[in-house]
Amino acid sequence: MTVRISGAQASDGHAWPLLSPKAGMLFVLLLALLLLFLLDIVLGSVQIPLESVIGILLGRGAEHPAWEKIITAIRLPKATTAVIAGAALSVSGLQMQTLFRNPLAGPSVLGISAGASLGVAVVMLASGGAANAFAIRQLGFGGSWLIVIAATLGAMAVLLIVLGIAVRIRDNVVLLIVGIMVGNITISLISIWQYFSEPEQIQDYLIWTFGSLGGVLGPQLAVLGAVVALGLLVSFSASKSLNVLLLGENYARSLGMSTFFVRVSVIAATSLLAGSVTGFCGPIGFIGIAVPHLTRSMLDTSDHRFLMPSCCLVGGILMLACDIVAQMPGTQTTLPINAVTALIGSPVVIWVIMKQRNLKSSFS
Amino acid sequence: MNNSILQTRDLAIGYPAGKRLGMSGNRRSGNRAKIVAEGMSLELREGELVCLLGPNGSGKSTLMRTLAGVQKPLGGEVLLSGTRLDRLSARDGARLLSLVLTDKVLTGNLSVYALVALGRYPYTGWAGNLSPRDEAVVRHAIETTGTRMFAHRHLGDLSDGERQKEMIARAIAQDTPVIMLDEPTAHLDLPNRLEIVRLLKMLAREQKKAIVLSTHELDMALQTADRIWLMRPVDAPHGERKSSIVSGIPESLVLDGQLEQAFRRKGFEFDLHSGSFRFRHDAERTIGLVGDGVRAYWTRRALERIGCRVVPGTAVPQHVVVAGENGTGHWQFFDGSTRNPHKLQALSDVLTAVGVSASSGEVVR
Repeated sequence: MTVRISGAQASDGHAWPLLSPKAGMLFVLLLALLLLFLLDIVLGSVQIPLESVIGILLGRGAEHPAWEKIITAIRLPKATTAVIAGAALSVSGLQMQTLFRNPLAGPSVLGISAGASLGVAVVMLASGGAANAFAIRQLGFGGSWLIVIAATLGAMAVLLIVLGIAVRIRDNVVLLIVGIMVGNITISLISIWQYFSEPEQIQDYLIWTFGSLGGVLGPQLAVLGAVVALGLLVSFSASKSLNVLLLGENYARSLGMSTFFVRVSVIAATSLLAGSVTGFCGPIGFIGIAVPHLTRSMLDTSDHRFLMPSCCLVGGILMLACDIVAQMPGTQTTLPINAVTALIGSPVVIWVIMKQRNLKSSFS
Repeated sequence: MNNSILQTRDLAIGYPAGKRLGMSGNRRSGNRAKIVAEGMSLELREGELVCLLGPNGSGKSTLMRTLAGVQKPLGGEVLLSGTRLDRLSARDGARLLSLVLTDKVLTGNLSVYALVALGRYPYTGWAGNLSPRDEAVVRHAIETTGTRMFAHRHLGDLSDGERQKEMIARAIAQDTPVIMLDEPTAHLDLPNRLEIVRLLKMLAREQKKAIVLSTHELDMALQTADRIWLMRPVDAPHGERKSSIVSGIPESLVLDGQLEQAFRRKGFEFDLHSGSFRFRHDAERTIGLVGDGVRAYWTRRALERIGCRVVPGTAVPQHVVVAGENGTGHWQFFDGSTRNPHKLQALSDVLTAVGVSASSGEVVR
């Protein structure tokens, strides 16, 4: 065939569009993330002046040793966890929505959160009267390692079941339904367990389900960061294929894409991302569904090579904002993060949908 | 000159035993393989536009999917550019054959340009970045389909016809010698249908692409196809339904009566003169028609539609004479008495009112 290399000049007044969206948008998002990160560290039940916070962050120390302790041991890890959790949940939600071509798909849909909850429930509720959750925290792991491991194993177990079915069934809609059903089975197992448990044990479990960004410290934070980094790497490498999946599986296959490979990679990445975050922070809802929609609207693109990093940024921003609200600046009270994400996020999503009305047209 | 790009040898298509397929909602299960058609030897040449015709359920989609390598053949082989389809890597296959499907693509945020750029998937690297050559191919594809003014728009904002053109542009950008289209003109209005077919014809002529499209539009296929692959159901033993396929130029398929056999149903007849199917009106009466030209043609059509058998001349008791020139002309209706309607509508009303008069003597109920 003959191809005229014409460059970008427009012969009839229509300049060729550029595939990459405005880089300025990404810069603004990054700036917002940094700003909120700082704000999240500054605000809290103990009032610490901004100069001292910056001083501590820059390693210059502070006039009160307690302040330094609060910043480095509590607030900094918490803000970092918020960014990691927001990025992980958002990216896994984005992939799920593209893979299943469904605007309501998210990490919780495939039963990942439910699987993690089951793992936690098994540890907390089956441990009997002597070994309640308080006792587990005293096990010498320096924290709630056992719960984290149980949650991750639970998430993985559910995902292995779903993955096993995914190998046999080529239809993503069927897979989505299977995921929801497996999640339902898991939830009903938990409620049976709760029914036969002591109230104190149920309370421990309920507190876990409220979600918490705090308490992920030192080695835990390193593990969470490493697992999420691995998950993001797998996700980012699937960007090109996810773009093609927008056309549907038949087109994707006709373009030479291995749908099996992409499906396995997306499920594996999602299990790493959502499983680890759920294990460490509890089942945080809403972020995984809402952030991809917000990001698509803001960037007005469907290119996953830009959506992925943008989702990380927007997810981090939203999670930080939710955390700031959750600690109710100026008071001694802290709200459960899970309630805040839904409380803040849902109206935002409704507003975006009303304003742009392209959510529906994004999916058939 | 043998410039054949795709061949099948003794190809059998269908669904293997006990296997479920999740493609386009087609789910067949059973213990025995379901053979849709077998023994097919087809050839597709460069620069050729082939229309795949056949009634619903005759296996057009199954054949398309098998040729495109989406579905495995039950027997025989498909050779694409001389290589067996199952020995081609997915990527190499995607560089030889592109598909335009009926699947709805309604991703609102996807711009036209980004959509067409997806056609470069088999050529781009790990990150999917377009090289200057890739961009040039994408732009060329958009210009070929004459949709440059849409390049900025979102796919969700396009009409059905515009969207179909972009899907074809995407296939052009894939830069394959073979393009297969599954009912590309379904759901489109007439101007859009003609434009799509003209575009495909042009691609075959000017860019030497081999194009296969399945369609239900007989008229269009007869007018434009270089060759027709006609699938038609034949009765096999044990009450099974199988299809056979014939390949030929449109005109000879008409003259052989193959086309008529394939689509024959009660209540229709194939008109050898126009090459189209018509309602067969079980004639209640016979009417003579005198006149020629366009007005006589449409008068005949009107008479046939309201259930008359039309014979030339005035030999039968009821007859119509088309008189005068275009614009000033009128009709004369003889039925013992004479009436002169000035509009075809009026003639039609007269005929309906008169009904089957006893005087015609041709009443067959």
